[in-house]
Amino acid sequence: MDFSQIDWGDIALATLDTLTMTGAALLFTVLLGLPLGVLLFLTGKKQLLEQGFLYGVLSVVVNILRSIPFIILLIVLIPFTLFLMGTSLGVPGTIPPLVIGTTPFFARLVENVLREVDKGIIEACQAMGAKTWQIIWHALLPEALPGLLAAATVTTIALVSYAAMSGVIGGGGLGDLALRYGYQRFQTEVMVVTVFILIVLVQLLQFAGDKLVLKFTRK
Amino acid sequence: MLRIEQLAKYYKVNGQDVLALHNINLEINKGQIFGIIGRSGAGKSTLLRTLNLLERPSQGRVWIEGEDITAFDGPQLHNLRQRIGMVFQHFNLLYAKTVSENIAFPLTLSGKYTAQEIQVRVIELLELVGLQDQGNKYPSQLSGGQKQRVGIARALANYPHLLLCDEATSALDPETTQAILRLLLDINQKLGLTIVLITHEMQVIRTICDKVAVIDAGEIVELGDVVDVFLHPQHEVTQSLVAENQALDLSALERSDQDPGRHLLRLSYVGTSTHEPIITRIAAQTKIDIAILQGVIGRIKNTPYGQLLVELHSTQEQSETVENLLINAGVRVARINAAAGVH
Repeated sequence: MDFSQIDWGDIALATLDTLTMTGAALLFTVLLGLPLGVLLFLTGKKQLLEQGFLYGVLSVVVNILRSIPFIILLIVLIPFTLFLMGTSLGVPGTIPPLVIGTTPFFARLVENVLREVDKGIIEACQAMGAKTWQIIWHALLPEALPGLLAAATVTTIALVSYAAMSGVIGGGGLGDLALRYGYQRFQTEVMVVTVFILIVLVQLLQFAGDKLVLKFTRK
Repeated sequence: MLRIEQLAKYYKVNGQDVLALHNINLEINKGQIFGIIGRSGAGKSTLLRTLNLLERPSQGRVWIEGEDITAFDGPQLHNLRQRIGMVFQHFNLLYAKTVSENIAFPLTLSGKYTAQEIQVRVIELLELVGLQDQGNKYPSQLSGGQKQRVGIARALANYPHLLLCDEATSALDPETTQAILRLLLDINQKLGLTIVLITHEMQVIRTICDKVAVIDAGEIVELGDVVDVFLHPQHEVTQSLVAENQALDLSALERSDQDPGRHLLRLSYVGTSTHEPIITRIAAQTKIDIAILQGVIGRIKNTPYGQLLVELHSTQEQSETVENLLINAGVRVARINAAAGVH
């Protein structure tokens, strides 16, 4: 193997693109997925705002989105991405499918984390005369914070691998680089370096996530 | 202060009504400590929760300080609950918040106080429950007893007139239980607060309650002053609950011989007569030997009481004379059939 042929500038740029895609997609995934997860939790059976029909509809939509393989979602969403971002290529063209792909996943994780919060705490809040929004904002979310951070960590790592996949539709980033050089031009060295960077990235994200979870764990 | 009228609660299970509470009538006076005791599943927890509408009654009414709260909803309900404190078996503290933040929580929720007022109140409450130096700790750093003190401080934050205790000492060891009960009694006396507590332990009732209701299968089976209920339990469930907390053990007296000249009496007395030499006086007066087989002297809240099991070797007539003298001296007398083991 001859690593001297590698254009490290390209690699650096691609890494930065991957980080941008992951970061932006994570931001929107949390902004959309957290409320959706809270709504799933609240409308569920025996919960604060039990709404069987609404829960059923949300649940089916979440399941459908989660059952479409991401590679297919990427292609199906091209017209939507074009409409929304003006392009379906590069970093901007990747963010909408990433967000739509991971939001239902994150929302389901949020729902599960909230269900783990001790019911007695909710009852105590009710007994103190807390309104539903106060229970969510002042008790449920702070109590669930470590779990939510762990869910966000898992989601971030899923985003890194989804972002790499978007290379297939010209999405940019490390996946794009690996595909164009490593696969189409048989430059195995580029493939090796890309994979190595991805491994390091995922390790770092998991490490940082675990640290954060620990920092906010009070139990 | 608090009145419950004809209260009933049903649950729908597979389309069928299951009775949880039935025909409950209670009156609780201001400043009283009222105990509700029963086995698990008797409905005591449901009953307590109808007082702040965590459970809505299916029938009947609940009156608190002259208001019928049964139909309260929305802001009216939030407001009512802010005026009623509640303490839980498993504390139900917020683990992400410090002790001080937990105590401040109901004050923050109500939106009626400034940050400074809250700070002053929290310090006051920390002192009241004896946690002056623990304000900045997290609940996980505290012992069970300390956690319950935080729970009590939190319940008192909004100046409630009524405090509901849901098995507040059941998760604590006996020593801590006594300390928490003393704290509740102290608060009751200092603040004139009415307390309604549920428990499955007669010890709790005996230590701090003024009145007690015994609940079984969703119904109140016995109701009265703790002294009366504890010393003269009528209902089977009450008798077994009392028996678990009493030194007098009748099983030790079981004998096969049925001597007609042998009379077993259980004597109960409360208040000042506890300290008088009634037995020796009567024995000297009647020249009948009275053998003391078992005895216990204790305290029901502030009332000293005694219970003795005595045996007379006498004729039926003599026994009746002794019984009458005892009754005249203010002692409650019950004949015991040792072979049958009657309470």
